[in-house]
Amino acid sequence: MNRRNFLQLAGLASASFALPRAVRAATAAPRVVVVGGGFAGATVAKYLRLWGGNIDVTLIDRNAEHYACILSNLVVTGQLAMSRIRLGYDSLRTGRGVKVVQAEVVEVNPAERCVVVQDATGFRAYPYERLVLAPGIEFTPAAGSYSAELTPHAWKAGPQTLLLKQQLSAMTSRGTFVMTIPKSPYRCPPGPYERACVVADYLKRKKPGAKVVVLDANTSIQAEPLTFDRAFKETYRGMLTYVTGAEVTGVVSAERRVLTTQGSFTGTVLNYIPNQRAGDIVTQAGLVNDPSGRWALVNPLTYASVVNPEIHILGDSQGTGQPKSGHMANSQAKVCADAIIRAFNGEGPDPAPTTSSACFSPITSTKASWLSASFQYDPGTAAMKRVDLGEAHEPTSDGFQQMYQWADNIFADSFV
Amino acid sequence: MTQPTAPALRRRGAAPHDVVAALALGLVPLAGSAATPPGQLLASQCAQCHGTNGQAVSGFESIRGKSASDMYKTLVEMKNRPAENIMDRQARGYTDAQLRLIAEYLAKLPTTASALPEK
Repeated sequence: MNRRNFLQLAGLASASFALPRAVRAATAAPRVVVVGGGFAGATVAKYLRLWGGNIDVTLIDRNAEHYACILSNLVVTGQLAMSRIRLGYDSLRTGRGVKVVQAEVVEVNPAERCVVVQDATGFRAYPYERLVLAPGIEFTPAAGSYSAELTPHAWKAGPQTLLLKQQLSAMTSRGTFVMTIPKSPYRCPPGPYERACVVADYLKRKKPGAKVVVLDANTSIQAEPLTFDRAFKETYRGMLTYVTGAEVTGVVSAERRVLTTQGSFTGTVLNYIPNQRAGDIVTQAGLVNDPSGRWALVNPLTYASVVNPEIHILGDSQGTGQPKSGHMANSQAKVCADAIIRAFNGEGPDPAPTTSSACFSPITSTKASWLSASFQYDPGTAAMKRVDLGEAHEPTSDGFQQMYQWADNIFADSFV
Repeated sequence: MTQPTAPALRRRGAAPHDVVAALALGLVPLAGSAATPPGQLLASQCAQCHGTNGQAVSGFESIRGKSASDMYKTLVEMKNRPAENIMDRQARGYTDAQLRLIAEYLAKLPTTASALPEK
């Protein structure tokens, strides 16, 4: 049976799925299906259960576990093991009562209010009253012959993190690590600059003489400008070259060569991080509708799509203009969970939600900086407005310890 | 960006779509969540560093079950002094009224893990 046949059958035989809503309603709890088990998806699933009493929550992800991008640059340099960033779903399942399903979502069907998944046993439909899509990012690589195996992005943690780690580890003192920074908005604004710093620190200590070239598609440093400007000019002076306005126009992965508007660069290692857009399932559901054609517009009071109020989009895929990060995803997920619970109770959303991001970035193997950004809902523009932004005066060893404490707590707040 | 629902409707707790949806579905009321406690959503934004329900798992201070007036005073002080650390910045993200709601909500949470208000 192919997917089309399955969907027709599901529609006809919807008694077993979503059809008898009135009948079902008398006895059953409302159902929320969450697609994507990163920081946004895990947090919304957890808080729907924590705050929402008897809501029936199903979390679907193609993987059996999640690898956090948070701290992953220290896995690239070998300072941390992969196990430090591995986050399972067991606590959500056993401690919170979330139904966790490992499968690939192949279709969102808004008319039938169900998502269709495929796994080894075939197709299955999961009906919902509310759907949350939190698939993270997809890449839009430049023209050329691109291979993520030959030139790893390591911008989704997991096997890619290990690939880049292996390539970095194999470099010699005569090598050059070339990396690219995508055009904003992209996942984790400080992340690429943090990577440039910890890679430079690693090379300085382990392969003295090796160089780092950072090719930024943007015209300036996108996060913590004072911290990273000082790190590039002082801490890594003489070994790190930072080039702005270098938009990637082509890539030849086999030659580890990248073509940019600032010239062609070849590295011993090429860490090409392509430009980004909403996850495929958001595109397939027809919900990508911002002016750039890359993200999904949502109501920031609920994170519901502006074109379908029963489908919420969280984290990196949504287009409110808030930074794309694990911390922000967690923050938005709580606003969304609260709004869904209120809706099930026949109430409107909180009219004045806040979100924030507070993150720590390693600048060396012993010192970290921090970034804080705060947002309030602005009723005048119906948008989230940044009300505060700041960064650490300097990276410190206390900051490095706080980074681990922050990671422990945000990992637990999202996944435990 | 679509227009938000009319503020007047929202103040009455009635986003039209949500009411219609809940009624049409005839969903059973959610156990234990009929009234969202004031400050709950705001205070949850502290949990990324200070732990779910204000109980940190590592490092940072647990912030539940403390005096509401002391916590409010501390937060306002952080908000108004020169920004040196990350909490000085985070406190600047909230109005004084929001800081008071956060402090009051967290103060009501019990301090022992066994008394967690799990549902």
